Amino acid sequence: MSLLAPLALLSALIVGPLIVAMYLLKLRREERRISSTFLWRRMVRDVEANAPWQRLRRSWLLFLQLLILILLAIALARPFFLTTGISGRNLIIILDRSASMAATDVTPSRLEAARRQAYTLVEQLPEGGRATVIAIGGQMEVVAASTTDRRQMNDAIRSITLSVGSRGDLSQALALAAALSAREPDSEVAIISDGNVQVPTDILVPATVRYFPIGQRGENMAISAMTLQPGPAGQMLFVQVTRYGSAPVTRRLDLYLDGSLFNAYELSFTADDAPGSSQTIIADIPAQVRVAEARLNSAPNEDYLPTDDRAWAVSQADSSMNVQIVGPGNRFLATALALLPGVTVTSATTAAGAVDPAPQVTIFDRVVPETLPTGNLFFIAPPRSTDLFSVTGVVEFPLLRPAPSAIEGQTPPLLRNISVSDVNVLRAMRVEPGIWARVLVEGDGSPILIAGEREGRRIVVLAFALQDSDLPLQVAFPLLVSNIIGYLAPGSGLEASQITPGQPLIVAVDPSATAVRVVRPDGRVEAAQVQDGQAIYASTGMLGPYLVEQVRGDQVIEQRRFAVNLFDPDESSIAPASELRVSQVSGLQQAVTREQVGRQEIWRWLAVAALLVVVVEWLVYQRTSLAYLRQRFRHMLAARRQSA
Amino acid sequence: MSSDHPTDVSLVCHGASVTTSSAQPLFDSAFLRKLDRLTLLTRRAMVGNIQGERRSPRRGSSVEFADFRPYVHGDDIRQIDWNLYARMERFFLKLFVAEEELTIHLLVDNSASMDWGDPHKLTYARRLAAAFGYVALSTLDRVTVTAFAAGAGAQLRGVRGKAGALPLFAFLQRLQPGGSADLAAACKRYVRTAINPGPLILCSDLLDPHWEEALRALGSRPFEITLIHILAPQELRPQLDGDFRLLDAETGEAVEITADLETLQRYLEHLRNWQESIERFCHGRGITYVQVDTAQPVEEFILTMLRQRGVFR
Repeated sequence: MSLLAPLALLSALIVGPLIVAMYLLKLRREERRISSTFLWRRMVRDVEANAPWQRLRRSWLLFLQLLILILLAIALARPFFLTTGISGRNLIIILDRSASMAATDVTPSRLEAARRQAYTLVEQLPEGGRATVIAIGGQMEVVAASTTDRRQMNDAIRSITLSVGSRGDLSQALALAAALSAREPDSEVAIISDGNVQVPTDILVPATVRYFPIGQRGENMAISAMTLQPGPAGQMLFVQVTRYGSAPVTRRLDLYLDGSLFNAYELSFTADDAPGSSQTIIADIPAQVRVAEARLNSAPNEDYLPTDDRAWAVSQADSSMNVQIVGPGNRFLATALALLPGVTVTSATTAAGAVDPAPQVTIFDRVVPETLPTGNLFFIAPPRSTDLFSVTGVVEFPLLRPAPSAIEGQTPPLLRNISVSDVNVLRAMRVEPGIWARVLVEGDGSPILIAGEREGRRIVVLAFALQDSDLPLQVAFPLLVSNIIGYLAPGSGLEASQITPGQPLIVAVDPSATAVRVVRPDGRVEAAQVQDGQAIYASTGMLGPYLVEQVRGDQVIEQRRFAVNLFDPDESSIAPASELRVSQVSGLQQAVTREQVGRQEIWRWLAVAALLVVVVEWLVYQRTSLAYLRQRFRHMLAARRQSA
Repeated sequence: MSSDHPTDVSLVCHGASVTTSSAQPLFDSAFLRKLDRLTLLTRRAMVGNIQGERRSPRRGSSVEFADFRPYVHGDDIRQIDWNLYARMERFFLKLFVAEEELTIHLLVDNSASMDWGDPHKLTYARRLAAAFGYVALSTLDRVTVTAFAAGAGAQLRGVRGKAGALPLFAFLQRLQPGGSADLAAACKRYVRTAINPGPLILCSDLLDPHWEEALRALGSRPFEITLIHILAPQELRPQLDGDFRLLDAETGEAVEITADLETLQRYLEHLRNWQESIERFCHGRGITYVQVDTAQPVEEFILTMLRQRGVFR
């Protein structure tokens, strides 16, 4: 402990003797003439037996006053401890509020611990220091912009609530922080997070970046996927449960159909299972079920994140979508498409022979027509070039691997739940995509799977024929088809019914509908905005099933259900990261953790202690009156009891 | 029987020049009229000097029959009961109860400790003594008042009859507080010099370490003692808070105290114990013990308290 203003201790040397002198003056007793000291003498003789104690009690007040003096003098000297914290004058706090911050491994929760850390940092800010508070997770939000008002900072920190939306994204926040810190010298960036954030690699922060890790444990089980599909016996439910910790755990999964308990499953993971391993439950359920809910029963010490212990899936039996296949015929594709709920498949050998005049999705299986139809397109092994891309040759035995993504660690939606490295391909077309396309999978330098948007239509190209690979025989195939169809036909199909928190619900609206309303999981009914034949509802921060109804007058003409689930492995793997790689102008490649530079001043506590002692001193001084009051009170009570 | 001097006023007073008119009147006339109706009660008959209104243990000439006694030579033949002689044929004397005056002894403590308190203790004692004296005078009793402070001792002997009230009141009003008083010595002296023992009223605060000795001395002669224990409210309920150096009014002795509730409670406890020990002592010796707080008006104290205690009727 050191002192900021040690000279202030001199005040004690000046005031202390004054107090003692006053006390000595006060000790002169007031003289009073009384009739006789006869009775008093007798009493004092009794008292003299414990005279030392008496004398000590008399000096209580002096002792308390000196104590107050010492406390105040030390408070004036401004003592402080060095703690992990900040030392700059311009502080930028980036506070993570993503779903993983709801974990309860730190009581009461990581978010609360993060808030406390933020309060501490604000307290360590020197006089006149500025602070900016940025909340990441979901939509980035600047809750306090470069303010010197501590109350405003604290209010801003208090106002940060959990956002279960997308994963905490540091890039935007760090870009802002870099811009802010470039303007002012002596800046510091404090990242308060559990480390489950996306860290950009291309930002150099011109300030010291400190990382305050929150969280201790990583034990968590999550429902990582859940879908409801048409099956042979009505519908088929697929639930995937993932364990992210390493401790052996056994938990029960309760399955509710339309609100009533349907079945319970026991799930066990042993210590041998790798962290992140998952188990799958597949159940046949009746066709009329609309909403299925899965709940992992709670286990306080085995699961620190309750948010991902519940998941919902909604039936897609009501919706429909037109998909046209143009090509020589492909049994694998037809089977995979037939598995998708609400998909109507039409087939044609040439584009000219198309039955459906305006299909939502057209699949060209090993053919390329002269003129491309409207709607979204999916090319499989295109034999020749089109306006959209060129085909320059053939690649033999390409080794597939996911293309490096622009954002590290994020899986593109098309490849969700799919591992492409297991797929063996005999021959693929060498496709040169236009600038619209993004390469998702490449093989030996040639793009294998590309996707993108051009002139308002979505296009996906798969470079190899299904017959030339073992892809159709793998589990990944139906999922890939589902993902591709979901990408090509947004707002319909299985993919669309499953959305992440914060993602807007988009529904094509019947022109005759007069209103569109949304029934939220908590039962509240809200109206959705309708624009250009589409209803959009964006307040999907709450997990659970949503029901979108289109109404004409009093009549509901169409219902669609959506399930908002976390299903985010990055958020569910709550193990805190102890380090964070943030490049800084100073040359550091890593955010600084646990460096003792913060000054935790304690004068406030000393002042509070002094105030308490003042109160005690006053009570001691007034003890006679207090005792008198107590006696009066007791008499009053006794009198009341007697009268009662 | 000794000689009677009904208006023999002997003053041994140092401040004898104090006039009665300058002092406050002790009572108003309405209260005096009320006092007229009171009588001082005695528990037993006592010998007096001259004829009065009180029963005496002697036989004498009243209308109340007392006893018969055989005639012996030399008896007054006017007292022979002839009716009895007719029946028994022997001489008997018919005896009657003698009614004599009583001497009321008023002892007023005018030591410095009595010159204190609000309401003033000595004033209270003066008025009490005056009331006792007036009641006694109105029943044709003899009243002797003695004040026994060192340096201010005074005595008024043997006033008798309503006419004696004025000298009595004048004496009491002239009474000055003196220095310290040795209560025990004063009582012993009084017991030695007092003539006819009778009802004795001691008005004192008894703030003297030798109070027991004093009371014992008084009890050595057949006085019928009433002890009026006068204490000021400041003594009964001291209102002190803080550090004090208490000075004794008589001796100038100092006691240092720190007055807080605990100290005061202990003081009250001592006071109570002291009062109880006095009461016990008095009870064991047939002394009527009456406590009085000077905050209580004298009139009320006399008319209710003393009547309840059987001092007056």
